[in-house]
Amino acid sequence: MKIRFIVVVVFAMSTVVSAQWLKHPTAGIPRTADGKPDLTAPTPRLANGKPVLAGLWRPAPGGPGVGNIARNLKDPVPFQPWAEALLKERRANNSRDDPTAKCIVGGVPRSDLVGYPYRILEVPGMMVILYEAVHAYRQIFTDGRELPKDPNPAWFGYSVAKWDGDALVVTTTGFNDNVWLDNSGHPATEQLRVTEKFVRKNFGNMDIEITIDDPKAYTKPWTVVQPLAFQADTELLEYICNENNKYFEIIPKLNADR
Amino acid sequence: MQSVRIAVALACVMTAAPSAQWLKQPTPGIPRMADGKPNLSAPAPRTADGTPDLSGLWRPAAILIGDIAANLPPNSVPYQPWAEKLYKERRANDGRDDPTANCIVGGVPRSDLVPYPFKILQVPGMMVILYEAVHSYRQIFADGRSFPADMNPTWFGYSVGKWEKDAFVVETKGFNDRGWLDNFGKPATDKLRVVERFVRKDFGHMDVHITIDDPGAYTKPWDVTLPLALAPDTELLEYICNENNKYFEIIPKAGSR
Repeated sequence: MKIRFIVVVVFAMSTVVSAQWLKHPTAGIPRTADGKPDLTAPTPRLANGKPVLAGLWRPAPGGPGVGNIARNLKDPVPFQPWAEALLKERRANNSRDDPTAKCIVGGVPRSDLVGYPYRILEVPGMMVILYEAVHAYRQIFTDGRELPKDPNPAWFGYSVAKWDGDALVVTTTGFNDNVWLDNSGHPATEQLRVTEKFVRKNFGNMDIEITIDDPKAYTKPWTVVQPLAFQADTELLEYICNENNKYFEIIPKLNADR
Repeated sequence: MQSVRIAVALACVMTAAPSAQWLKQPTPGIPRMADGKPNLSAPAPRTADGTPDLSGLWRPAAILIGDIAANLPPNSVPYQPWAEKLYKERRANDGRDDPTANCIVGGVPRSDLVPYPFKILQVPGMMVILYEAVHSYRQIFADGRSFPADMNPTWFGYSVGKWEKDAFVVETKGFNDRGWLDNFGKPATDKLRVVERFVRKDFGHMDVHITIDDPGAYTKPWDVTLPLALAPDTELLEYICNENNKYFEIIPKAGSR
């Protein structure tokens, strides 16, 4: 019973949307006459005409969020039977095997959905995402390289991107088979291929259209859309998951239960 | 007791062993010799505004990893008595309270010293360091801002940087009081102020001159120099410390004092 309680607390901590209390004026953003950020201003563009994606963003209401990535789907999730059974098992046991409870990174697309801000950086040949959650980062190569043929299986996989009109299309493969797609535990395998289309709609709003293609866990690809809101006049906090994580104290108990 | 010692020693070795990167990916846009090898003695590149371009994948020389004072004359670290006592205690107990054994980030300057590569990015108003170690990152603000009045105490502190001729000078404050300066456990307090001067000497070589100024733990500031080498034609690996970290299995035992 005590374990149930602690797991639920850890779970809640990883899902709560918290207001950032750091105040620092963001330089160079459009503002209204009263000095507030003008979040409906047009999308800024680079010299080559492509939208600027760089900035501090946070998943916004209206999308699935990290709790259940399939929350807004009209059709049922096209599970393979084993994957549906595993999701039900994870739901029934309060996600005791959730890798992020052990401070492991959320991977893709889970890190996009979690209710903490992240900073997108654009540098020559690369887009980088600095996630506040678990203080982790991700590299997305935009230098025209191909996906590697034999990648090291990783939580974040290996990401390459190219522009399709005004959308930056990121393709990620090379996952290990331990990734959870969301907090509720939608499974994924090493055959997972994630496509994220980043579309900045105006200064303050961006959509990520996420397609899950994992033929080992799902019978066909499925797509969700997560809106992001620009975060003006604040900063990332230092999120150190291993500091005082109570989950580690109950690992021996969890193991003894099996 | 023996198993605790061995496990802690193992964790220590794992963070200390220099590993060759096995990822092969040609680094675009770097100077090369006739045979295609990177020309690491070519001049340091510069950005449009004339300052050196520090960006790239760098690997620290594995000389200061255990002992940040390894290159200093013996007994030259100006410890305050309590700090020397704590240092000796940490050496004697195999670093059992090392925060990085618990997968916490190394902070500053320790994250610069570990023998894992890190990638420096320069973007407008900011330098960012992506550390392979513990898969963590650090932001260094270079937009002219000053330090916040009341900083949240952190492991990486709050960093601002500015150019002094060809040196990028980074000042960091706002630490918590739990950071270790190196694997051996030189203490630091929340009065710690670190200055790192990044000087790129040529294409393949950079020095970081590090000043430790912590009147809570040392009687005066002291300096060390860390050489970095460019790591061409490879990439960062995904270092997930919490995957199968054996230290956690011994935490209950290590804590039963």
